[in-house]
Amino acid sequence: MTKCRISRRRFIQGTASVGAALASMSSFRLLTGGSSAVAEPQQGVTFAQNWCEMCFWKCGLTAKVVNGKVRKLEGQPDCPSNYGKLCAKGNAGVFQLYDPDRLKTPLIRDGERGSGKFRKATWEEAAAYVAQKVNELKEKYGPETFSIFAHGSGEHSFVELVEIIGSPNYCIPSYAQCTGSRDIGWALSYGKPVGGKEPVDSQNSKCMMLLGRNIVEALHVGEMQDFVEGVAKGAHVIYVDPRFTKTAAKANQYMMIKPGTDSALLLGMINYIIEKEIYNKEFVENYTYGFDQFKEHVAGYTVEWASKETEIPQEEIIKAAEKLCEAAPHCYIHPGRRLTRYGNDTQFTRIVACLNMLMGNWEVRGGIYRTIGFKYDAPHMVHFDKPYADRADGAGSEEFPLGPKNLGFANKLMEHIANQDVYPLKGMFVYGCNPLHHHGSTEMVKKALENTELLVTCEIYMTDTAWLSDVIFPESTYLERYDPVISTGRRKGYIQFREPAVSPVFDTKGGWEIAKILSGAMGHENEFLDVQEYNRQAFETLGITEEYMKKHGVWVANENTPYPVEDEGEEPSFRTPSGKAEFYSNICEHFSYPPMPSYEENPVPPEGEFRLLFGRLSFHTHARTQNNAWLLALHKSEVPLWIHTEKAKALGIKDGMSVRLVKEGFKSNPCTARVVDYIHPQAVFLPYGFGHETKGLTRITGKGARTSDFTSNLTDPISGAAGFHNGFVKVEIA
Amino acid sequence: MNATKTKKFAMAYIVDRCVDCKACMVACKAEWQIPDNDFRTHIDTGIAPAATDRLSMHFLPHQCNHCDDAPCVTVCPTKASHKREDGVVDIDNRKCVGCRYCIPSCPYNARFFNNELGVADKCTFCLPRIYDGLMPACVTTCPGKARVFGDINDPESEISKALKDAADNRYRVWTLRKDLGTEPNIYYIQK
Repeated sequence: MTKCRISRRRFIQGTASVGAALASMSSFRLLTGGSSAVAEPQQGVTFAQNWCEMCFWKCGLTAKVVNGKVRKLEGQPDCPSNYGKLCAKGNAGVFQLYDPDRLKTPLIRDGERGSGKFRKATWEEAAAYVAQKVNELKEKYGPETFSIFAHGSGEHSFVELVEIIGSPNYCIPSYAQCTGSRDIGWALSYGKPVGGKEPVDSQNSKCMMLLGRNIVEALHVGEMQDFVEGVAKGAHVIYVDPRFTKTAAKANQYMMIKPGTDSALLLGMINYIIEKEIYNKEFVENYTYGFDQFKEHVAGYTVEWASKETEIPQEEIIKAAEKLCEAAPHCYIHPGRRLTRYGNDTQFTRIVACLNMLMGNWEVRGGIYRTIGFKYDAPHMVHFDKPYADRADGAGSEEFPLGPKNLGFANKLMEHIANQDVYPLKGMFVYGCNPLHHHGSTEMVKKALENTELLVTCEIYMTDTAWLSDVIFPESTYLERYDPVISTGRRKGYIQFREPAVSPVFDTKGGWEIAKILSGAMGHENEFLDVQEYNRQAFETLGITEEYMKKHGVWVANENTPYPVEDEGEEPSFRTPSGKAEFYSNICEHFSYPPMPSYEENPVPPEGEFRLLFGRLSFHTHARTQNNAWLLALHKSEVPLWIHTEKAKALGIKDGMSVRLVKEGFKSNPCTARVVDYIHPQAVFLPYGFGHETKGLTRITGKGARTSDFTSNLTDPISGAAGFHNGFVKVEIA
Repeated sequence: MNATKTKKFAMAYIVDRCVDCKACMVACKAEWQIPDNDFRTHIDTGIAPAATDRLSMHFLPHQCNHCDDAPCVTVCPTKASHKREDGVVDIDNRKCVGCRYCIPSCPYNARFFNNELGVADKCTFCLPRIYDGLMPACVTTCPGKARVFGDINDPESEISKALKDAADNRYRVWTLRKDLGTEPNIYYIQK
């Protein structure tokens, strides 16, 4: 592993092997004192403020720069995202910054797509190339022929570039591939989405129920801190998952559920709670809508039935229901994070929301707190006219009236690019994401990429998608660039600041700068603000100084209580048609969706096949960090495939063996079998983000399986978001 | 070092708070520029028992135990490994000849050979960082606040308070391999 690095350290290693005496000639640590603890002379130490971009939770951090090099990242103590803490990924940002695998210069494809042949280009050359192609395609097909898939703090640079070109086809995949169904289902119930920082008040909770929300492995520092506090204070934790995860390790009650039957479990609990009349009557009577119809609707979902569907003993189901009601209102049922499972996830979230309603936990401690945001008159990076064409993906159309046009359906748009069945979609931009991993079908994405006449990627690494691109713009990492200040909301509302800790290590630029260069090269006259000028204007509006932000990195702007119902006796109110939390959804009725959620049976894998479940490891993010040597060392580069002991035995698979996933003749790269009793026999589990094809991620190319080669590609009929977990696979010895 | 004379540094892990996120391992690596494939601290994960309806999984961090009677100090032929007055077992890299005797002598498997430097390597409780008013890197970063560090001779230190709290509440407190008489200074606390 990591044989690619030819660095000063490698040189030292070579020297060291000659002998300790010689080694001492080449090492700081050996020359500078009597202790191994004296690291290096602390000259020229400076600090720079930032927010972490190793995942998307945006933990505030301070970079320590010694002699012009970033040496250490530590959490900002006052940042409400993380209160001074960083996870493994956050700490590994230093490795990413100096990673020789990074994209180092603009590249233009110089061979067949997929050949990996690129030539180095200057920024002017690459921008002129793209501009000429863009203007040609625009002439030929119209401006709406362009699409953009974007994710990350700089996503709006390229989104706005594509809008300036004149296309409405921009997608933020975190909607359709992650939280879309959850947010729509929650909004139908409570009048607002869950939001990117889940407002579950774990630290004060007396009982928490999580269904596949693997809070300590699909890890966001702030949310995990709250959870650990709650656990330490003795909350009763109910964890439901076909797999015994590290979150399960912290649970008082773990229920191994038959995959795909979560709705049955919750409906059974709801039925029991209503039958026994142990719900929060005060809340239900005063602040909810449609309870009587709902009560009738769920009458058939008995605990006995739920137990049969879920394979969970009746007494466990009853215990979970009673524990929640005993703790109510200081309890919650987690709405989930990535909820793209079975293509009916909006209605599943409706069930989660209804169970929460029975607890009456709205804006009280230990329940669902009010996200305290902070709104101000933010400057604009660039002004432009909104594109006039209809979106190709159907978000906000008659078919999907609830689909948000400002986020789009990444899954549907990609399908339309593959099929070219709406209008010609021939130009694609990709910023900070990797459709070959995060879509439900790589085959479909490959077809879409083949259909593009121009594919431009802005990235820090040679991802699978970059590998197939025509032009690649190398972006500066978060530690090398300014970005517009951001406003974040949790229990407080706050402003976060990003400044470069060091100059770009390679010939890279920030997303906004790249978008500005491209816009200019295309001949657009829209003026992009310089990011620093944007921040100066923002600080002026906010009434804070740049000096303050340089010192602290974060400014807490709004400290209103997140528990207004409990602290100020505020009446719970909801932006739903009834003004109440809705068991019976008026909006669903209006659009002819079932106004109350029912049990929908999901298909089960045929004999000899398994349902592929996938998720995060606590030390990797999406498909972005797997090549980071510091993180890779944590799991010795192994990609585990979890399989149940009995099933493995039948296939002759022993723990530690090399195995492959197989679907319709397609075989994955080898994974390492992890034979365990604590996964449901119907399922296998694979961590997300491996199986890269690109040759540019030198430490992990070809290692492990890529989930998107095996997942389902369903569409939720209400939210339009994806459903991945109905992918069935075979497993064989590699 | 007069100021250090009465100090005795120690660390405790509040096991219930550890979630095996491995932030400590990477923070330590960054702080000390440890070679990519080595770590000065680890987290062991175990499942017990293997197959039953009452599964449990535990996460146990570990690192150098800074023993009062440290085998690595005893076996070191050059006195590179030494016990400081403040309790830290340290390695003087100038004296280390890379003989590696210390590595198998450690009953806690806390040492490794640093190929980049040609010396034995292990946790130093983040000297000198802890004299700059900071906590060790692993403590600073730990999102679950599982790690508690301080001067066990100071009743007001975080670690003294954590151990007192554990004693008052009759939490389970243990050290590793007590039978060996190494007198380790890493404590495990579990409710």
